[in-house]
Amino acid sequence: MSNNKYKILIIEDESNIRSFVQTVLEATGYQVITEKTCENGIMMFTSHLPDIVILDLGLPDQDGIEFIKTIRKNYFTPIIVLSARTSEEDKVAALELGANDYITKPFGTAELVARIKAAIRSNRIVDMESSKKGIFTLHSLKINFDTRIVTISDKEVHLTQTEFNILALLCQNSSKVMTYSEIINAIWGYYDDSSIKKLQVNMANLRKKLECKPGKNKYIINELGVGYRINKE
Amino acid sequence: MKKIKFKKYIFRDLCLTLFILAFAFLLNLLMQTIFDTRSLIPMIFVLGVFLISLKTQGYFFGISASIISVLLVNYAFTYPYFAIDLISPECVMSAIVMLVVAIMTGALTTKIKEQEKIKAETEKERMRANLLRAVSHDLRTPLTSVYGSCSAIIENYEEIDKNKKIKLLNEMREDSEWLIRMVENLLSVTRLDSENVKIKKTPTVLEELIDSVLVKFKKRCPEFEIEVNIPEDFLSIPMDPMLIEQVIINILENSVHHAKGMTTLSLTVTTDSANAYFTISDDGCGIDPAIIDSLFSGYFNSDTSADSSRNNMGIGLSVCAAIIKAHDGEISVKNIKPHGAEFSFSLKLEVQHEQ
Repeated sequence: MSNNKYKILIIEDESNIRSFVQTVLEATGYQVITEKTCENGIMMFTSHLPDIVILDLGLPDQDGIEFIKTIRKNYFTPIIVLSARTSEEDKVAALELGANDYITKPFGTAELVARIKAAIRSNRIVDMESSKKGIFTLHSLKINFDTRIVTISDKEVHLTQTEFNILALLCQNSSKVMTYSEIINAIWGYYDDSSIKKLQVNMANLRKKLECKPGKNKYIINELGVGYRINKE
Repeated sequence: MKKIKFKKYIFRDLCLTLFILAFAFLLNLLMQTIFDTRSLIPMIFVLGVFLISLKTQGYFFGISASIISVLLVNYAFTYPYFAIDLISPECVMSAIVMLVVAIMTGALTTKIKEQEKIKAETEKERMRANLLRAVSHDLRTPLTSVYGSCSAIIENYEEIDKNKKIKLLNEMREDSEWLIRMVENLLSVTRLDSENVKIKKTPTVLEELIDSVLVKFKKRCPEFEIEVNIPEDFLSIPMDPMLIEQVIINILENSVHHAKGMTTLSLTVTTDSANAYFTISDDGCGIDPAIIDSLFSGYFNSDTSADSSRNNMGIGLSVCAAIIKAHDGEISVKNIKPHGAEFSFSLKLEVQHEQ
């Protein structure tokens, strides 16, 4: 009867957090399974194959990072990391190993549900669209990957080669935070001292061309100190 | 890095010692020809030894200088001239006097330096104790309310009607949100403390920083619109972006909570060749002149202000001051005309390349 519900695996050792997250997600209409340790989490994952995983990084037996490493060898299931750690390095490390998103504790339930929905949706889109490229739309922004033409409200926006590549990369990984070095490696293929600056300048130009004002960035969300992301509607 | 510094000290002290001794020696040669008296000679050397002990680190240079002085006096200025004579009681006496002067000056200056260090440490300790006291006081109020409301709902679930329950739960949420902010501030303080040398600065695009601030601020205070004025050009400033973000948010929230009658809140960034200047101003009631000077110290007697519970942003602002200080910037606040308050801080545009 609950077969058509999305199945969510929560790996978190704090029972209070587990219980409230479970309550909220079940009330939202997801099927929830929970685990307390990294090792059991991996076992549960392989036997239940959930649609999405919510993972705490500070687990009693192993670092949650190990879970990401193990799972990413064989699966592309979206992983959202819950992190009590505030330093950007930890988030970047988790993202670069293949986590899709992170939420810093303490977080609100509305935010958590929004992130889960976005992650599930983007995963489905990747399934369907990874073979054919086609057209990506977001609000009034339209990107045609075949003709490489970008329009806002049907007015063409002229992007440089690099700007288009960055935008395309973010769209193809929509709802996933792309870290600075992931973008740099994908666009330029190498990383040196001036890479960050090059990326920052390109992003600034891109924002200008997409007419984004601070605080009202409709398209590209900026994750300070970590990277950028595009959220699918 | 410490070793290099240490070597530098030795080199500097050595130069100073040699210079003072040489100067004293030449002065004495001069004196001898002008005044034809020798009573001044030991005095000048004593003065030299005193200066050396005062200005150098530790005892080594002072004692060496006094020994050298004794030998110099003995060699050049006492009979037999230009020969060492260590037997005459006069020599032995002057040697002892000089040694005592050197050792005592050394001991005295070391003591003064130590006392200064202790004073600085107790000052730091006092600030931390104040912060802790203020924080625990500020934590207690929302915790009491959360705990009390929860218990009320659990124990009287049937008796309390639905609207009342929602109201209590909403208050609990507000209080918890406030606690979250408080803990964020405390975390920032520990982040400053744990890396007590220097914070890690990364080049941050101003536009992205402001964007992130506005998005966060909008989540917390959706009813306020901020007027933003930043340079059009691409501008990258070295900073710890999370900490500076928190500084701006703290100041903005402070205005929201305290600037009564505020209609506009503005955030302006300007630059000159060396610095970026962030200015946050409101047109509210301004800040009480009695507390404006101690606003960043985190310590003003909150008992006098009728304990307006969560509105004590003193901690938030003192965290701001600590963060800006760690960035080698400057922070200030003043009241503006006709009414309102203006907070401003500066950040250096270039990373200083020092080892």
